[in-house]
Amino acid sequence: MITLEHVYIEYTKTKIALRDINIHVDKGEFVFIVGPSGAGKSTFIKMLTHELVPYKGSVIVNGVEVNKLKKSKVPYYRRKLGIVFQDFRLLQEKTVFENIAFVLRVTGVRGKKEIREKVNRVLDLVNLRNKANAYPAQLSGGEQQRVAIARALVNRPTLLIADEPTGNLDPATSEEIMDLFNNINHMGTTIIMVTHNKDLVNAMHKRVVSIEDGHIVSDVKKGGYDLHA
Amino acid sequence: MTCMLNSFGYFLRETAHSLIHNKFMAIASVLTVTLSMFILGVFLAVVLNMNHMAGYLESQVEMSVYLKDGLTTEQVMGVGQRLKALPDLSDLSFTNKDQAMEEFRERLGDQAAILDAVNGNPLPSSYRLSFSRPDSLKEAAAQVSQYAEVESVQYGQDIIEQLYKVSQAIRVSGIILIVFLAGAELFIISNTIRLTVFARRREIQIMKYVGATNGFIRWPFLFEGMIIGLVGSGIASAVLWELYKVMLNEAAAAGLLFIPFIGIYPFMLHVTLLLLGAGILIGMLGSAISIRKYMKV
Ligand SMILES: Nc1ncnc2c1ncn2[C@@H]1O[C@H](COP(=O)(O)OP(=O)(O)OP(=O)(O)O)[C@@H](O)[C@H]1O
Ligand SMILES: [Mg+2]
Repeated sequence: MITLEHVYIEYTKTKIALRDINIHVDKGEFVFIVGPSGAGKSTFIKMLTHELVPYKGSVIVNGVEVNKLKKSKVPYYRRKLGIVFQDFRLLQEKTVFENIAFVLRVTGVRGKKEIREKVNRVLDLVNLRNKANAYPAQLSGGEQQRVAIARALVNRPTLLIADEPTGNLDPATSEEIMDLFNNINHMGTTIIMVTHNKDLVNAMHKRVVSIEDGHIVSDVKKGGYDLHA
Repeated sequence: MTCMLNSFGYFLRETAHSLIHNKFMAIASVLTVTLSMFILGVFLAVVLNMNHMAGYLESQVEMSVYLKDGLTTEQVMGVGQRLKALPDLSDLSFTNKDQAMEEFRERLGDQAAILDAVNGNPLPSSYRLSFSRPDSLKEAAAQVSQYAEVESVQYGQDIIEQLYKVSQAIRVSGIILIVFLAGAELFIISNTIRLTVFARRREIQIMKYVGATNGFIRWPFLFEGMIIGLVGSGIASAVLWELYKVMLNEAAAAGLLFIPFIGIYPFMLHVTLLLLGAGILIGMLGSAISIRKYMKV
């Protein structure tokens, strides 16, 4: 699913954010990325989404050589990814339904019926069918994040990437969201998630990759947040 | 391109939505485009008309050869013989001093009395020549002015040169002005679109993340710029067309039709197409400039 070999990423000539990253993730895995602030976790995510391109090494995702991707091919590559952010990034002037339909429309889906079916499917998945006509401002943080997850899933991605998806949520809501990710993972979607949420990482017994100062310092199959320390 | 056709309706809706949302800025930039396109059109019409006039005068194939005073009849006849031999000559007539005076009197009409104060007849006798080709006329003029018996040769070369000189000057200043106006249009349109783009930067960001192509993201904004350019230059062209019509009518009413203005059709159609094309192009360019910054990610 994902294979990184000797990957280096820099922001400026003097600021190298990731150094010699080597990792392999199989299809269907659930991987936590943990580490202190400024370690390079978001940089890692941005590399997977082709926002940042390594100056050295190779990044292969879904069989695509991301580091060599032509500019014109990037949109098509991204359609196979689902991306979730800490701050939800919903469009405030669109309803829940329209926020999700937006993804389909801007990737060329035109049929009304097709759009309705696809949006309803993911709304059912996150259990928010009843809020389809609400605006983001009328929803709780947890509900907004579920809408964002539904949006990330609507194009049926094989890989779901999340950068601190519970960062803005209280513990109980975070747990709900984590359950949702777990369910999505059980349906076969590979998940890469950056998080600071110790308790949840410890409770889930998934693979944990720790990054510190741009390095992978540990990679444990059924790990916990502090195992590497 | 297939993506473009599929999504045409979507683009138009987005564009309309954005223009309405941003209407004051949109109106302001339409008016700016209108004004500068109008000025541009006026310049175009003036320069083209002057060139047209100069060309028209050049195609006039008549010239007058004025003879010196005090020639013998043989000398006058001799000149006539040599003129007859000029290539492409189609007509030749002679006006003696008395006939010239008579014509002059007629032309003066009411004011002919002032001629009574003149002693003798200062007007020269002359040959009037017509040619079938303007080029032959020019060559003949150069040749004939060398004749010892000839005082001067005239075929309107001064006015032609004047016209070309003035039109050249207008053209140069016009080009400078056009560059300046195009710059101003580019500036105002790109600023208008910048506001739209800024208002929708979150949408653009999400589009980028979910895999909308750059073309798809860009088109609604390009449309917006194109429509502003199109409407602005459309209004300018319509006003210019109407004004040109009025001017031609006024000229006709004032008896100025001997001035060879360019006829309204298809001249104004060409000017209109040119302005519309320029408007659309500038609108597109302005948008492209504004959106570039937001297309990264
Ligand atoms: N655009 C940028 N230009 C220059 N340096 C940057 C840029 N973005 C991040 N960095 C630096 O790169 C390093 C890694 O940043 P990154 O955002 O990946 O950290 P992180 O692990 O996600 O931290 P956090 O947990 O606080 O989100 C940091 O030292 C940061 O200052
Ligand atoms: Mg981060």
